[in-house]
Amino acid sequence: MSAAAAVLRRLTFSREVVLLGVLIVLMIVMSILSPFFLTVNNLLNTSRFFVEVGLMSLGMTLIIITGGIDLSVGSNLGLSSVAIGFSFAAGLPLPLAIVLGLVVGTAAGLFNGLFITLLDLHPLVVTLGTFALFQGLAYGATGAEAVSDFPGWFAYFGQAYLGPVPGQLFIFIVAVVMVWLILSRSRFGRYVYAIGNNEEAARFSGVPIRRVKIAIYSGIGLLVGMAAVIYTSRVYTARGDSGLGLELDVISAVVLGGASIYGGSGTIAGTVLGVLIIATLRNGLTLAGVPSTWVLFVLGVLLLVAVFFNEFFRVKEE
Amino acid sequence: MPVKESKMHRKGGRNVSTRQMWGFKGVRALLLMALILIAASCGVGQQAQQGGGGGGGPTKICMMPKLVGIPYFNAAEKGAKEAAEQLDIQLVYDGPTEAKAALQSQMIEQWIQQQCSAITVAANDPNALAPAMKKAGDAGIKTGAWDADVAQDARDVFVNQATFEAIGYKMVDLMAEQTGGKGKFLVVTGSLTAPNQVAWLKYMRERMKEKYPEMSIASVQPGEEDLQKGIDITKNYLQANPDTAGVFGITSVALPGAAEAVKQIGRQGEVAVTGLSTPNEMKPYVNAGVVEKFALWNTVDLGYLAVYVANAQVEGNLPKSGTFKAGRLGKVKMLAPDEVLLGPPVVFSKENIDQYDF
Amino acid sequence: MSEARAPTEGRRVSRGEVLRRFMVRPEAPALVFLAVLVAAFSLSSDKFLSGTNFESIVISVAVLGIIALAVNQVVLCGEIDISTGSMMGLCAVAAGAVALSTGGLILPLLAAVAVGALCGAINGLLVTAGRIPSIIVTLGMLYALRGVILLVTGGTWITGVPNEARVLGTGTVLGVGYPVIILFALFLVMELVSRHSTWGRNVFAVGGNRRAARFAGLPIDRVRVLAFTLVGVFVGIASVIYMGRAGSVQTNTGTGLELQVVAAVVIGGTSISGGRGSSLAALTGAVLIGVILNGLVLLGVPGIWQQAVLGALILLAVATDVLRRRLVEGKA
Repeated sequence: MSAAAAVLRRLTFSREVVLLGVLIVLMIVMSILSPFFLTVNNLLNTSRFFVEVGLMSLGMTLIIITGGIDLSVGSNLGLSSVAIGFSFAAGLPLPLAIVLGLVVGTAAGLFNGLFITLLDLHPLVVTLGTFALFQGLAYGATGAEAVSDFPGWFAYFGQAYLGPVPGQLFIFIVAVVMVWLILSRSRFGRYVYAIGNNEEAARFSGVPIRRVKIAIYSGIGLLVGMAAVIYTSRVYTARGDSGLGLELDVISAVVLGGASIYGGSGTIAGTVLGVLIIATLRNGLTLAGVPSTWVLFVLGVLLLVAVFFNEFFRVKEE
Repeated sequence: MPVKESKMHRKGGRNVSTRQMWGFKGVRALLLMALILIAASCGVGQQAQQGGGGGGGPTKICMMPKLVGIPYFNAAEKGAKEAAEQLDIQLVYDGPTEAKAALQSQMIEQWIQQQCSAITVAANDPNALAPAMKKAGDAGIKTGAWDADVAQDARDVFVNQATFEAIGYKMVDLMAEQTGGKGKFLVVTGSLTAPNQVAWLKYMRERMKEKYPEMSIASVQPGEEDLQKGIDITKNYLQANPDTAGVFGITSVALPGAAEAVKQIGRQGEVAVTGLSTPNEMKPYVNAGVVEKFALWNTVDLGYLAVYVANAQVEGNLPKSGTFKAGRLGKVKMLAPDEVLLGPPVVFSKENIDQYDF
Repeated sequence: MSEARAPTEGRRVSRGEVLRRFMVRPEAPALVFLAVLVAAFSLSSDKFLSGTNFESIVISVAVLGIIALAVNQVVLCGEIDISTGSMMGLCAVAAGAVALSTGGLILPLLAAVAVGALCGAINGLLVTAGRIPSIIVTLGMLYALRGVILLVTGGTWITGVPNEARVLGTGTVLGVGYPVIILFALFLVMELVSRHSTWGRNVFAVGGNRRAARFAGLPIDRVRVLAFTLVGVFVGIASVIYMGRAGSVQTNTGTGLELQVVAAVVIGGTSISGGRGSSLAALTGAVLIGVILNGLVLLGVPGIWQQAVLGALILLAVATDVLRRRLVEGKA
């Protein structure tokens, strides 16, 4: 086989390139459906909406690579959000309240990690429990009320612009680079893949499984905390039900990006593409005037189709 | 560090060369993506900075309910569509599938890109939507609210269906008729924080204090706009407090739930049930005698009026006081320079309920 | 090598042994917890043990329990199904629509069961033939079906369901409500099927060790597709009961139910990794949830704390399961 053909073959079978193709096709379709889609304003505006999901997806990638899952990220966002808002309303200076939000998010993730590792429990059922617990705490502690009285500068996290580019996009890009470095360039990243491929073998190879798992669940907690700050700033309200339902978008993005739900594979590039595809769909369909009810249906079908093709390509590769 | 020393990397348990680790999968994809995005943003049409503003192009009214998929807002849509047809303008009626302010504000921000002439919204949270609505205003789009208001400085006009006072008083009056003006009552509401529901409760209590001192609200329970929940809450409460004189269901989901509960425990006629809801949902209960009378406003008309007001905003002829002519509704009162009133609440009963279909 | 316990030594079994054998059962912690809770609630509120209250508890969990019995089988064979909430909404819409147009009870019931079975079969096929993990399949279906409901109904509710179609929800036989009867009948059926039918035993095998089951020649694909389809059938039945009780079908019917169903299965003692559990576990879990939610209302705890309690319960249940296993099965 000639070198060119070999390169072509590798390109077409690379999951990320296929996803990129899907994204481009999708953007073309959306711009046909609505003349407002492919404008600088709109694209930048859309980027404001996907940063929160994007940050959480970065952390979820590591978790899914290890064969785990975290269903509680959406509820965690609500919990962190009310931690920020209500501590501020109670008198805590806003910068400290923001730090508190980050701490709460990380602590919640740590709780997940400890529960899963110390008791050797399946992440699905633990995070199902914390999904309900965190949301319940957020609601119960705040009496389902909301805080909306923030000083002007708080908007900078979620509503500021550097030139025409939304501020949070920079935060996202930095986070992408950092998590990517951790996953693909560090020993920690190799541990993550090792655990996903074969946990028993990893244990025998001396991988500190418990510590790695605790780290990744706490890590996503920190990312959730950051997302909570940005989200609360963007919608200008701290409510207990913020973020509910986002876990579906997050998991969809990671799975769409090529990570196997059984563990062992997945990349940051793929996840980022997954996030972009979902954001494009959501925004494009709304702009085209497609009613929300159709969007719901499309996203559900998309997840199924995406994973189906994922497995299809995976088998071809191996 | 091992990573730097060796030329071979371990990735996912396999040995891969540096090329494979860095090349096709990771960096290249990201670079290609970045290139595409830059090309897209430079090459393809640069639209004007502002997304909206009237003039040039047909009038497009973008109207948002609290959520889609419940009869109350389906009725409003009916009226809105009727008005749009009469005025020969374009209408976009859409909202989130859940009653969440965050989803609403996101949709509003997307609508700003869509060159709406006017955006009018029934707000789940008056403050949460303020930034998005202000942005719309800055972009030259006419802003308004209907059914549930946003912060006053975030919109130009509010289309009110009935004053909170009129609604609160009317419900208490209806209940007083049926219970002789005394007793302890349960109120089933939607959520404990919805501003309009909170306001109604305030006026209900006020009316009781002033006119019916022997009536009192013993408990307020949230049904969360879930029919089964409303039924269960009412049943549990009535069983635990059998001396309750009546139940107020003050949302279009809570009232049928309360009626169903009273019917299931067989206490219709003993426990009075009234409140706010849409006629179609209540027909079976009114005809069965579980509910004598209940109130609402004509929701179809509300949607109709909201579109007319938005259109008047776009054309610049919305008055600041007095009355405003809104199609088949005739003259509608301006409560304030920024508030339009639909009219008094409508009372539904066995006599007139079949005339309505929403 | 662990020592094999030999309870057949001698015919006399000590009381300690009986206790240990009980504690080894997966439903044990849940049953004990249920007993403790019932005792605690009846002591703190005299309304708890009244006949009507207890029956209303069981009726309110009938829908939950019936679905949990079927999802239990799915979990036992190592999969999961979180699409049941939307599925129930769709089945209820089907039942309601048929009830409004043709009346009667049988036709709406058939419609609901057919729709449910179809959705369940789709789930099963996507998992087996599509080789998509069940968490993803049912997650996607959860979204997609909710969208289908909204599209099909156009957002309008189905109201004024005729009384004859509501019998399964509101009717009684010999003073006992239909939901209770159906729940216990289906429980008995599932117990029999689960323990004594080939399929039932295969479910345990597939969940316990899928590789071994495959090598043993078991039809793992068929086993799983049947499990998912069974969920659809049971959801259809439950939806007719729900419609009977509520009298109308909202577009958001069933939202959030899937979490409660999985919680019931897990809290009752069925292991999420598959291969261990029983129908009694699912039933106990459902009743336990009903008792707790009812008790909370009686105690005056604001409804807002319900989610938190549910979540804490799930965590408590799985934690005690692990601890129980370590204690009883012996790290000895």
